[in-house]
Amino acid sequence: MLARVVPLVLFGAAGVYLVLALRLPFGAIERPGAGFYPVLVAVFAIVVAAGATVSAFRNAPTAETDAVGLDAASRRRVVISVVALVAFCLGLPWIGYPAAAFAFVAVVLRYLGSGWTAALLAGALSAAGSYGLFAVLLDVPLPSGPW
Amino acid sequence: MGPLDGLVYGFSIALLPSNLFACFVGVLVGTIVGVLPGIGPVGAMALLLPSTFAMHPATALIMLAGIYYGAMYGGSTTSILVNVPGEAGSVVTLLDGYQMTKKGRAGAALTISAVGSFVAGSLGVVGIMLAAGWLAEVAIQFGPPEYFAITLGGILLLSRLSGGSIMTAFVMVALGLALGTVGMDSISALRRFTFGSVQLAQGVELVPVIMGVYGVAEVLLLAEEGIAKAQIASVKLRELLPTREEWRRSTMPIARGSVVGFLTGLVPGPAAVLSTFIAYTVEKRMSKTPEKFGTGMIEGVAGPEAANNGATAGAMVPLLSLGIPFSPATAILLGALVVHGLQPGPLMISQRPEVFWGFVASMYIGNLMLLILNLPLVGVFVTVLRLPQHLLATLVLLLCLVGAFSLSNSFLDLWVLVIFGVFGYALRKLKVDPSPMVVALVLGPMMEKTLRQALFLTRGSVVDLVARPLSATILILAAAALFGPPLVRLVRGRRVAKVPSGG
Repeated sequence: MLARVVPLVLFGAAGVYLVLALRLPFGAIERPGAGFYPVLVAVFAIVVAAGATVSAFRNAPTAETDAVGLDAASRRRVVISVVALVAFCLGLPWIGYPAAAFAFVAVVLRYLGSGWTAALLAGALSAAGSYGLFAVLLDVPLPSGPW
Repeated sequence: MGPLDGLVYGFSIALLPSNLFACFVGVLVGTIVGVLPGIGPVGAMALLLPSTFAMHPATALIMLAGIYYGAMYGGSTTSILVNVPGEAGSVVTLLDGYQMTKKGRAGAALTISAVGSFVAGSLGVVGIMLAAGWLAEVAIQFGPPEYFAITLGGILLLSRLSGGSIMTAFVMVALGLALGTVGMDSISALRRFTFGSVQLAQGVELVPVIMGVYGVAEVLLLAEEGIAKAQIASVKLRELLPTREEWRRSTMPIARGSVVGFLTGLVPGPAAVLSTFIAYTVEKRMSKTPEKFGTGMIEGVAGPEAANNGATAGAMVPLLSLGIPFSPATAILLGALVVHGLQPGPLMISQRPEVFWGFVASMYIGNLMLLILNLPLVGVFVTVLRLPQHLLATLVLLLCLVGAFSLSNSFLDLWVLVIFGVFGYALRKLKVDPSPMVVALVLGPMMEKTLRQALFLTRGSVVDLVARPLSATILILAAAALFGPPLVRLVRGRRVAKVPSGG
């Protein structure tokens, strides 16, 4: 299923890219403008995405291309990790790096299988350690939050 | 400066305490990420790139390259002892390496692997010294049409060699080329595909993309497994010595693997991986007992392990002499040099000899350090595998996040990291190699610039663009590599169809 959806989505994306590329100044072949190369890329993208879509629909899905199924526990671990990544990006400007890093490590570790005590301890140590390394030693201006 | 004078000068740079330390850190980190399955050298290089911003360019290059070739040493340890490849370049090693472990010859396999890597790495550096200097002299004559042909030919060849279907590889190339057009046009300064974002005007940063598709995606795969611990065979120091017969049988495979690896490294594509498969096939064909391969043949360890180190050296030649990276790892090295205001290419060897020769000399030192690190300390590195995988995965994710942010203190880079992490994970599940996308993202802007410059120069004549001797040769070779195999299959298929079936 996914093996067929992905090329279709890419085909649609290539179409949108072509429309946007055509709005840029194309110039002429002896004096190519900013849109010249993107139009070439868009045409190439449409042709190969169309080819991949046709090929995906022609070929019966094999065990290999369908090997994307996961059991419920594995799927939950991956989803939690992705949600935690997104939450980190959203929360960083508001709550600052130390709090965001602590919450990120503690939550991910807990859902990957650690006990709460170990997860909270690892969260605190890794937040403090990475803040010390990057913000203090390497002078990276990490957001500190409202505190 | 001749190669020998250059090398002497290079050692005076590489032996500076700061460079020696950078080399040690690089090869140590490389060995550790090589040992750990799921965390590859490309992700680790991307992760440590921001920490090199304050260093001298030579020091930065020495450390990052140390991670790259160090990982080739470490990867074999996991393949041999755990039957899981530490990184992609060691997949072939487990075929015979793990069988040797089951026969009680793990120590010999590890020693031959380390010595083979050392020999190939050292011979590869000789190759860089000779080939890069020569190629740089030739490349001074190149104009935009030649550079356009090299980038186009490189991308086409990479699509052929990256594995999987060629159509899928082309889709990845198209995606990389399209991403490369985001941001300010280098000729007219017009903003393209930025949707009003000031941050996007700088374009899509390479490093968060690489961290995402190689780092975050791999960690998400590890997260699937939850808490998992590897079963590891133990190796005692006295078991490390191969027998005289094993040494004898390994000599020629190491020599052949070194040459195969270096030559494969010169060609666009996943050289470190591809070279091991070629070396294994070569050894099997040369063997009087090919049927025994896969049962614990030392030749099946020696050849591929030499090849992947030879390939890492070979891959440096197009980067240092032409300024063109043909793999994600060398793209990061290019990124590191560009951050320091250096443009690798034909003039770098003469204009910044301390960077080029310091780097070359450091590879001799780094290979020697790796030989010393990997034999007596193999037990120490193996203990890294005993760390809980879920703890390691979480910490790597956190480092990816802080590493991506610290590149330019941009929240956009964080989002790029997460989006490409999820995308890279989906690609892994679909068994699609992201390398063509990454290389196209790096080479795309160069290809556009040289194409437009060449069209200006030739007044829009496409024939003049592709008919210059070197451009034509490169494009014909790339087309032959691309379309030759399917054409041969087509012709063979027709011949078979014409033969009447018996019965």
